Amino acid sequence: MTARRIIGLLFASPWIITFIIFWFFPLLYSLYLGFTDYRLMQPSYNWVGLNNFSALLSDQSFLQSLKNTLIFVVGTIPVTTATALILALLVEKNFPGRTLFRSGFFMPSITSMVVIALVFTNLYSRGGYIYLLAKILGLSPPENGLLLSDSTALYSIMAMDIWMSVGYYMLLFLAGLKSIPKELYEAAEVAGAGTWRKFRSITLPLLKPVALFIVVINTIKSFQVFVEIFVMTKGKYGTSTAVFFIYNTGLEYFEFGYASAAAYILFVIIALISLVQFRLFRQRSLW
Amino acid sequence: MKKYITYTVIVLTALMALSCDGDRSSGEITLEWWQFWTDPAIKPTIEKIAADFESANPGIKVNITDLTWANGREKIVLAFSSGTAPDIVELGSDWVPQFSSADQLAAIGKSVGADTSQYFGWSPGIYENEIYAFPWILGTRVLYINRSLLIQAGYDQNFVPFNWEQLTECCYKIDSIGKDIHGFGSNAAEKHRLYKKFLPFFWSSGAKILSDDGSFSTIASDKAYEALKFYKELSDSVGLIDTQRRLEDAFLDGSVGVIISGDWLLKRICNGGHDIDFITTIIPGPKYPGRSFVGGEYLAVSKQSQHKAEALKFIRYLTNRENQLLFCKENFSANPSHKKAAADSFFTGDVNLQVFYKQLNLSRMPKIDEHWPEIEEIIEITLEDVLFNDAPMAEALYQAKLDIEKLYSAK
Repeated sequence: MTARRIIGLLFASPWIITFIIFWFFPLLYSLYLGFTDYRLMQPSYNWVGLNNFSALLSDQSFLQSLKNTLIFVVGTIPVTTATALILALLVEKNFPGRTLFRSGFFMPSITSMVVIALVFTNLYSRGGYIYLLAKILGLSPPENGLLLSDSTALYSIMAMDIWMSVGYYMLLFLAGLKSIPKELYEAAEVAGAGTWRKFRSITLPLLKPVALFIVVINTIKSFQVFVEIFVMTKGKYGTSTAVFFIYNTGLEYFEFGYASAAAYILFVIIALISLVQFRLFRQRSLW
Repeated sequence: MKKYITYTVIVLTALMALSCDGDRSSGEITLEWWQFWTDPAIKPTIEKIAADFESANPGIKVNITDLTWANGREKIVLAFSSGTAPDIVELGSDWVPQFSSADQLAAIGKSVGADTSQYFGWSPGIYENEIYAFPWILGTRVLYINRSLLIQAGYDQNFVPFNWEQLTECCYKIDSIGKDIHGFGSNAAEKHRLYKKFLPFFWSSGAKILSDDGSFSTIASDKAYEALKFYKELSDSVGLIDTQRRLEDAFLDGSVGVIISGDWLLKRICNGGHDIDFITTIIPGPKYPGRSFVGGEYLAVSKQSQHKAEALKFIRYLTNRENQLLFCKENFSANPSHKKAAADSFFTGDVNLQVFYKQLNLSRMPKIDEHWPEIEEIIEITLEDVLFNDAPMAEALYQAKLDIEKLYSAK
């Protein structure tokens, strides 16, 4: 090994050591724990093989939390992505107050999730503005508030999540739009292309890498939804998600082995879905 | 050059060694205490008691770390798991068995054995006939009634319901005053809260969760069914269903006539300057005044502590009559664990605090063991199914019985 390489490694070593201690080792260790009956504060534990994984696959609470997570993911990602794209297209144009709109849409993304969740808890409660608006619109919201009913709690949290995250993805789409060469639009105009044709044939295909990034990142984030649930419902009224289940199992009941196994099942699901998304986005026919 | 480097290394090592062992070299002991009283109204009192202890015990310092109810329990669990637990820790009554059964707390029975008769509420602190935690501040729940609404409903201003029939009638009459007025504040599915509002009726009817020897669950019984039926009817017909905090808001603004709450509501009324005419009374039973739920704050010494004797000394200081009185007066806490403190004129001279005292004597703690968190969740799920999803009551109670028994058979 040359001196140059050694020096390079030395410079990188703080990060490498941190990665190994705080990321790599915990990842491997939690995988190992998934095969044990480890409980927090218990001095000894046993290897149980695949027992945790098979038990999880027949655990109704876990399956329900996975189902809720899937509803959350499927319900939020298309709406968030489409809304973010529309907003990006709107605020890209030159009009008075453009900066104000851009900042306004982005503001929720830099606000604490806990603060937003607490504000929305009030807005959704009986007498809250959103609850009253739903009443005025004749939507007959549940008598006790939107978060205190199985039929509306999860969807209300999903709506809040879309509102909160759309600004961030709008910004990413804006960056993508800025990188598209103007000449392409000029050439298309010369060839007689209309607005829709330009959008379909230039904007959308060239935004594909950004869209892929957004969908993958948003998928991972949505699968890990936790804070909103913890603050707003504590998993009640049909809102328990996979990460909330893991938290509850590990830190409420101390079943760390079982919780680790659940975390790895979730990891596999996220990895598989991300893989599918990568493959789908590679196909030209999508556009 | 080599010589200088060697000397520098030696000096630096010596300095580091000294700085790491500051406690021993100065002969001073620092007790780490993790506690939950972060409210600016009471924190200075906590700090004063700790400072007074330090003055009375030269050589012992108390380092206070604040925890929050949102995530304090997780921090405690992780500290115990990683061997970094504090010397003294404040625990909720329903948490103690999980720590004592996991062999994380120091046994204090020998040191406090002779004084147990001076305090209320030992049972959560006891595990397998050994004492692991010291009762500090207890907390029970009583019935709060809006007297203005009571009078509007046609009752005498001194009327208090003492049985289920009277409570039902009273709530119905208040409910019929107007469209926006509800008779009874019924808890929504809030974790760690809902079951505490149902158990008083459950216990008052004579029902039990487990058999006396703990070998099977008795939660599915005629008495439990009667209690659940009563609570559901009250909740369905005249109940405003909401979170505890919002129910208290509704009670204070006069839109709910009757709610169950703890001494924190008294404090809120006193400190918040709320103009409300209210009375408190013992939670009614089927025929006569009934039982309530009691929990509390407990103090325990970590088994890992290097200063167990000093830690226990501090706990004894915190929980002595004078300091409990000081604490309760500042915090408007109704139920000190020290019996002599509870007999002080501060409590006996206040009609509401007296209700809390009487209710404490009628209250029960659930038979708490290491399975309690799971049992609590089973009871809450049963209540949610019955109250909010109209599940058949008998079947739901029977399912709860099976689920509870499964916990013990798995063991």
